[in-house]
Amino acid sequence: MMLEKCSFCKKGECIKPVKVEKNHPGKAAAKIRIEADGSYFQINQDGGAQKLEKAKITLNDCLACSGCITSAESVLITQQSHEELYKMLAFNKTAAPNEQKLVVVSVSPQSRASLAARCKMNVLETAKKLTTFLKSLGVHYVFDTTFSRNFSLLESQREFVKRFRKQSEDKKALPMLASACPGWICYAEKTHGSFIIPYISTAKSPQQVMGSLVKGHFAEQQHLTPDQIYHVTVMPCYDKKLEASRPDFFSQEYQTRDVDCVITTGEVLRLLEQEGISLSDVDPAPLDTMFSSITEEELTSHSGGGSGGYLEHIYKYAAKELFGIQVDTIQYKPLKNKDFQEVTLEKDGVVLLQFALAYGFRNIQNLVQKLKRGKSPYHYVEVMACPSGCLNGGGQIKIEGESSKDLLQQVEKLYESLKTEIPEKNQTVNELYEHWLGGMDSEKAAKALHTEYHAVEKTSTGFNIKW
Amino acid sequence: MKEALSLLCRLPAHPDSRCWYLAWSPGGSLLASCGGDRVVRLWGREGPGWACRAVLGEGHQRTVRKVAWSPCGTYLASASFDATTCIWKKQPDGFECVTTLEGHENEVKSVAWAPSGNLLATCSRDKSVWVWEVDEEEEYECVSVLNSHTQDVKHVVWHPNQELLASASYDDTVKLYHEEEDDWVCCATLEGHESTVWSVAFDGSGERLASCSDDKTVRIWRRYKPGNEEGVACSGTDPTWKCVCNLSGFHTRTIYDVAWCHLTGALATACGDDAIRVFEESSPAAPQQPTFSLAAHVARAHSQDVNCVAWNPKEPGLLASCSDDGEIAFWKYQRPEVC
Repeated sequence: MMLEKCSFCKKGECIKPVKVEKNHPGKAAAKIRIEADGSYFQINQDGGAQKLEKAKITLNDCLACSGCITSAESVLITQQSHEELYKMLAFNKTAAPNEQKLVVVSVSPQSRASLAARCKMNVLETAKKLTTFLKSLGVHYVFDTTFSRNFSLLESQREFVKRFRKQSEDKKALPMLASACPGWICYAEKTHGSFIIPYISTAKSPQQVMGSLVKGHFAEQQHLTPDQIYHVTVMPCYDKKLEASRPDFFSQEYQTRDVDCVITTGEVLRLLEQEGISLSDVDPAPLDTMFSSITEEELTSHSGGGSGGYLEHIYKYAAKELFGIQVDTIQYKPLKNKDFQEVTLEKDGVVLLQFALAYGFRNIQNLVQKLKRGKSPYHYVEVMACPSGCLNGGGQIKIEGESSKDLLQQVEKLYESLKTEIPEKNQTVNELYEHWLGGMDSEKAAKALHTEYHAVEKTSTGFNIKW
Repeated sequence: MKEALSLLCRLPAHPDSRCWYLAWSPGGSLLASCGGDRVVRLWGREGPGWACRAVLGEGHQRTVRKVAWSPCGTYLASASFDATTCIWKKQPDGFECVTTLEGHENEVKSVAWAPSGNLLATCSRDKSVWVWEVDEEEEYECVSVLNSHTQDVKHVVWHPNQELLASASYDDTVKLYHEEEDDWVCCATLEGHESTVWSVAFDGSGERLASCSDDKTVRIWRRYKPGNEEGVACSGTDPTWKCVCNLSGFHTRTIYDVAWCHLTGALATACGDDAIRVFEESSPAAPQQPTFSLAAHVARAHSQDVNCVAWNPKEPGLLASCSDDGEIAFWKYQRPEVC
């Protein structure tokens, strides 16, 4: 892997080591000459020079590396973009029937709200018109990850109660930390590794639960193998692309990912622009109800904010299960800043549950440092990498001339305009637990709905630089 | 002819390694030094010379790059290539490491205390600048992580009396930050240098900033508030900073440090050509176009790169310097009659 000009360099001579593939074992190490323009030449034994290619960093290299010196902007995310979706749709048009893939797009409610704000429509209209648009391109089904989020919420709340009950035997049972945000997960694995991993909930994110649903249950229903489905998700951030590429979400058996391609809300807008289509001009289509959250023609959501509502659902469930207390409204207490808020359940002056929301890097920092010093008072923390949460993700649509604060408020309003539903009450979810997974406590459920984390080993840089 | 800058004393402060940085205690009686030998040393006057009063070891695993005293003089912060910042507290029998700040991904390049004593800033090769807050229980919490620079951040320094922070970077710019609502934001970017900016220093009033660079120049920037008399345009409520002077042609190598004396206004520089130079502003000063002239130049101030120059905050004309050769030198500066 070739590295760029090292910022240690005081005197203008680059002293970084360059790793060169040894094609000829036994021969002497290659000599490298660095030109004034920064290009690298390998000097062969006979004195001839060969210009060396700049190495491209793939997503997985980036995910795995803990000592990356190249700037983030130079990471090439070539495997996942709306261009890739175009390629698949184009392929489908000319492929033989038995080679064609079934294209499924799962849209996140955050992306939908962002599109609604941009196109100046309500959420239901946006969903219906987006369905028409995607299907006009060759997509077969359009689902809503609010549906798969039910599983993430249910699994998280049950996992919390289990952990709470065994906290005296397991020092790392609590605080339980949210697992739906890949930005947080990647940082945690890379920077805090085996210290922090035991605290992280093992429940899969809504994106990945949808992956299991689509490539598992849905594929079976359609009499297809998982690799015959091309599953795309529309997400409010770029880190979801990293999540989809995790080896844990790749089926060795079928050599296919649970989520093949993640496109951001912004990339959907680019798709619309490339097609010359204005979403508001499109006719609405009926929604695909199979894996969407619709009751009586109405789209539903979950309470607890734009990042999924993990804190609220776990809190209410735990209050009931552990203490028999029914909680209807939750009082948030903002701390140092608006992205760090506390919720406390007290009875007769005793604190029963203490939960927190920690959004944004600075708050995550403080949380982890407190945890390391044994000074964290929380039982559960909903950790999200983006300040203001998922509605403010890096892949959401920005509007020229509008303040990002105003825009965020609009998106929040649209997101919250839907009726909320309690996961336990969703009939389809209950049926799937029964018929697809063989019960809530089955092994199949554990495998389909939970995941693992892996500490990234810090490579010693071996530079021995004295600067 | 009397020399403007004369050597008082030389010390082998960090044997067999570089001495990276120096910081005078607020009272002016102690000088902290740090180096490649991973320790911080404190020096105090002893007769005509200086002696080592304390060694702060076992704090860091790698080079200590910078040290900074809290305004009250009770705490000393040390920034290290081991990615941590140690906070040392003065105790009756010496200094003790009371906290280690973690979080930067790699080498911490600088640390600085705000004039209030409640805030601390650190910066790193990871391109970020962090602002930390310390509470009554001496607990440090990260208040903001600023990712404005696009490259290694070399130095951070606070305005002398406001909560305004300046940073210098390998990306050739100087950036300024202040608090807005519940977060810190970058409120100005000073462009002009053609290479790495290694250090910045505010003048005593805080209306001007000096920056030094690998491009061998020192630039003086002046703050213009909105509605200023000179008609300099400002966007919104933020002041604009304009470059009002460019000292070029004086240094033959990278300039690693610049120090602006708050007592006398003299500007000292530490250079990769082993020299120390002192500049004085010609008076009467024309604020929009100040001119600085070279008042003193010691060509071989050290036997290797000079990394830092520091004016004593209480004793006018007392300057300390340190070098890659591991030595600290003390100088007496007297403004020459004719500049």
